[in-house]
Amino acid sequence: MTVLEAMERAGLDQETLAIAWIKDAIHLIQSNSKEKIKVNKQDIIKSSDSDDNIYVLPADMIAIENISIKDTSDGKYKRIKRITSRPSYIIEDTSP
Amino acid sequence: MSSYVDREWFYYLRGRELLLYKLLGGSSNERITQNGVLRTRGKELMYPDEDIADGLRVEYTALNEPFVDEAFEDVTAVASGTGIAIVDGGGSSDTLTDTESGFGDFQDGDRIRIQGSSSNDGDYTLSGSASSGTLTFGSGTFASSESAGERITVTQIPKEDKTPDATNHINLNKMLSLAVVDYLKAMLFESAGDIERKEYYLKEFYGKLGDNESNKRNISVTFPSGPFAIR
Repeated sequence: MTVLEAMERAGLDQETLAIAWIKDAIHLIQSNSKEKIKVNKQDIIKSSDSDDNIYVLPADMIAIENISIKDTSDGKYKRIKRITSRPSYIIEDTSP
Repeated sequence: MSSYVDREWFYYLRGRELLLYKLLGGSSNERITQNGVLRTRGKELMYPDEDIADGLRVEYTALNEPFVDEAFEDVTAVASGTGIAIVDGGGSSDTLTDTESGFGDFQDGDRIRIQGSSSNDGDYTLSGSASSGTLTFGSGTFASSESAGERITVTQIPKEDKTPDATNHINLNKMLSLAVVDYLKAMLFESAGDIERKEYYLKEFYGKLGDNESNKRNISVTFPSGPFAIR
């Protein structure tokens, strides 16, 4: 369906506004039903100071589907578990 | 070497950041160190202690190619077989050739995805010409040449338009496109201050999302009937 067709069906005549609202709708769809999945891979680095275990999530992310780590013994990515609270005894490790 | 990662690695989400932890007493660590210290096997965590190239994989949804040049339903060209060869033309155009002439549905300018090759898997755009036996690309498209033999699949994929206008297509199937129309109506009524109708169309929007999901799950379930069941 073209943007124009969607505008005509909805009775909308402002193209820029329609495109913005369509993006909002796709955002909601991706948030609820995971229509299209993207994959981001990052290198894991051997920690040598206090911020080396911090990885930035993709800037365009709407919802996380899963997180996995490469098992180098068999070359497979395996899903890892989320801890719901930060370890209380290791807030920052300056000498990991 | 990382092993048992599913049991020994954990993550914690902090805003836009992901913090990785590894079990200190995991399988890759010595239980008794060289200086005789007994390391814990308890649930103590530490920072990752090894380099792993492309080690962290995040699967997620995003506002991914929202507008395309062709209707989602029209992107149907596909070719697969062991007769497909990849030719790195060096300074001149690169090509895909098929001894079985299966490229008849592709057109110049199409966006395609190659799977099954040794070193050229990826997404490319046709540039030059397209015939049933040969697809042409710009020079430097492919990393290296590959002879026919591997089973390679070439699939047409939607071509994104980053500067959309009214003529572009929404990169969704028909059901979800109709849901988007409901969303537009909801926003229009919200602008007009008609909250009741806005709520109605938002309900229609979410209803179509649900229909689209259930359309993927049309699974028949059968139960064996007992010997004394009324038939």
